[in-house]
Amino acid sequence: MGELIKVRGLTKHFPIHQGVFSRNSGKVYAVDGVDFEVNQGETLGLVGESGSGKSTTGRMLIRLIEPTAGTIVFDGKDALSLKGRDLQAYRRQVQFIFQDPYASLNPRMTIGEIVGEPLAIHKVGTRVEQTKRVKELLDVVGLNPEHVNRYPHEFSGGQRQRIGIARALALNPKLIVADEPVSALDVSIQAQVLNLLDELQTQFDLTYLFIAHDLSVVQHISDRVAVMYLGKLVEVADWKQLYSEPNHPYTQSLLSAVPVPDPKVQRERVRILLPGDPPSPIDPPTGCRFHTRCPIVQLPLCADSDPELREVAPGHRAACHFAKPFPIDIDVVKASV
Amino acid sequence: MAEHKLLEVTDLRMHFFTRDGVVKAVDGVSYDLDRGETLGVVGESGSGKSVSAMTLMRLIPMPPGKIVGGEAMFRGNSLLTMSDRDMRDIRGNEIAMIFQDPMTSLNPVYRIGKQLGEPLRLHKGMNKKQAQERAVELLDLVGIPHASSRVKDYPHQFSGGMRQRVMIAMALANDPDILIADEPTTALDVTIQAQIIELMEELQQRTGAAIIMITHDLGVVADMADRILVMYAGRAVEYGTVDEVFYRPMHPYTWGLMDSLPRHDMTEKGELCPIKGQPPSLIHVPAGCSFHPRCPYAKERCRIEEPPLRAVEGSHLAACHFAGDSDFSRDELECAGVSA
Repeated sequence: MGELIKVRGLTKHFPIHQGVFSRNSGKVYAVDGVDFEVNQGETLGLVGESGSGKSTTGRMLIRLIEPTAGTIVFDGKDALSLKGRDLQAYRRQVQFIFQDPYASLNPRMTIGEIVGEPLAIHKVGTRVEQTKRVKELLDVVGLNPEHVNRYPHEFSGGQRQRIGIARALALNPKLIVADEPVSALDVSIQAQVLNLLDELQTQFDLTYLFIAHDLSVVQHISDRVAVMYLGKLVEVADWKQLYSEPNHPYTQSLLSAVPVPDPKVQRERVRILLPGDPPSPIDPPTGCRFHTRCPIVQLPLCADSDPELREVAPGHRAACHFAKPFPIDIDVVKASV
Repeated sequence: MAEHKLLEVTDLRMHFFTRDGVVKAVDGVSYDLDRGETLGVVGESGSGKSVSAMTLMRLIPMPPGKIVGGEAMFRGNSLLTMSDRDMRDIRGNEIAMIFQDPMTSLNPVYRIGKQLGEPLRLHKGMNKKQAQERAVELLDLVGIPHASSRVKDYPHQFSGGMRQRVMIAMALANDPDILIADEPTTALDVTIQAQIIELMEELQQRTGAAIIMITHDLGVVADMADRILVMYAGRAVEYGTVDEVFYRPMHPYTWGLMDSLPRHDMTEKGELCPIKGQPPSLIHVPAGCSFHPRCPYAKERCRIEEPPLRAVEGSHLAACHFAGDSDFSRDELECAGVSA
């Protein structure tokens, strides 16, 4: 299993324009130097709360948003310098599944047209071949191929997400970036779609970057998991390691905050409550970005120096000066809340 | 007179009469609630969780809505038949509600203090100054820093979690006996959700209010609820204590819900076992047991006869013909997967 895509120092700063003359009055540090790689055939889960930059990261990978800095190497080639034909070829290999199955399908197109559009744009095959392929795709995602002439409003949320998945599969991509693909769905439907994604991965040897805020969904689907906070990666590890031995205090509090559907576990465990809201990415804290809410912060070090994402165990990286697999000292936590 | 329950809902039915047909949004819901207790109402979208709560508060426009049956008694008085005037005295006073979306449930053009003071002036007859002072106390109570200056802010100046705190403060303004929370943490990030849950639990201990927690998140009810009501297609299908429902669930729909969840304590990867198919349209609810088309255990009887919500084991109720039968148990479900 080699690296399919390798990201180094990926950065996106959105300028803020204000006033009559659209003066540039600052920047949103949405993504600020992110390094990771996704191996061929694996699923990398990218988790974080709203505003952590996970969606922006995903959109940069498919070049919907142009990075401010950094490199993306896909299949050994620099994906950011691609132009024209090469860029088109790149886009065939990297596809996207959107969060909202209601907003991401054009209501005036039939599902046949929606799923077939990538084929038409990239001029793959004849009209007849395209129709055949569309029917195949609908079948693959568990929809009735005879429904090609129906419109999106005739389908439920789960079915629409299947349509979005069929569209993403149309060009036989290598990498699929899925941005919160199941968060708009009810649990029973969510489980159906997760199983479908699993099966498709095996069937077509797909690689996924799976972006989500739901930690148990990410745990279920991912081989490795990366955690983001305020534009930075704070921890990356194999899923088992990340969930059983988180090294970064943010990951630890995130995991402790997820309500577990088991009343006995819930009664016994201790929640690490983080004080306040995440700071604004317009004016992120100095040093470690988590230091303003961190239960184990040690000043002045954490406010002065930005911790590097360093290896704490084989294949396990964390960005904390004090990263180690420790249970957080509860008294310290209580005192800081 | 015998001691009345705080709230007693029996076989509540709220239907909507639309051009396309009758939508049976709530079609048989029963539960009761004691002081200081938390009832978790779970179910998927369209199962009638929110409509049943809004029916209690008389917030459903009628028409198109119509209460076609059932009763809801608050301290022995019927919430469904009392005059609008009496209802106004209860709403926001003795029974308060928190809505899902903290972004849209506050009025953007009024200052927080004014909105918070409204229930106080309305129900407690406070003047502007008293209401303002109490508003500061309430903001302080729900953990908003610098409360005395923040009462003068507008909703857009608050973050999502802070707005939900304001909503909670508003709901608690008059020390309600019942707090109905409709997906209060769904729009929030997990770390903020944890703060809000902690806050609600703390306030409940302090005020002794009963909470009806409506959510689709089984984790949240496992955390907060004393008892759980599971709803499907407008009906109550299972009702019991939190331990009964989580550790000895009796209805095949509840089994399906539990099996659909990715396990937090998973050590090996496996397939999820989702419920096959989709929830029915509430205009064309299947005859008999409404869950039978999706139920892997359905028999002929389920197609014809609607199972009543009945006591299967003491206080543990389920609406399934076979619940409690010695040979009826949750066995290895065949995973439906894509074929759903």
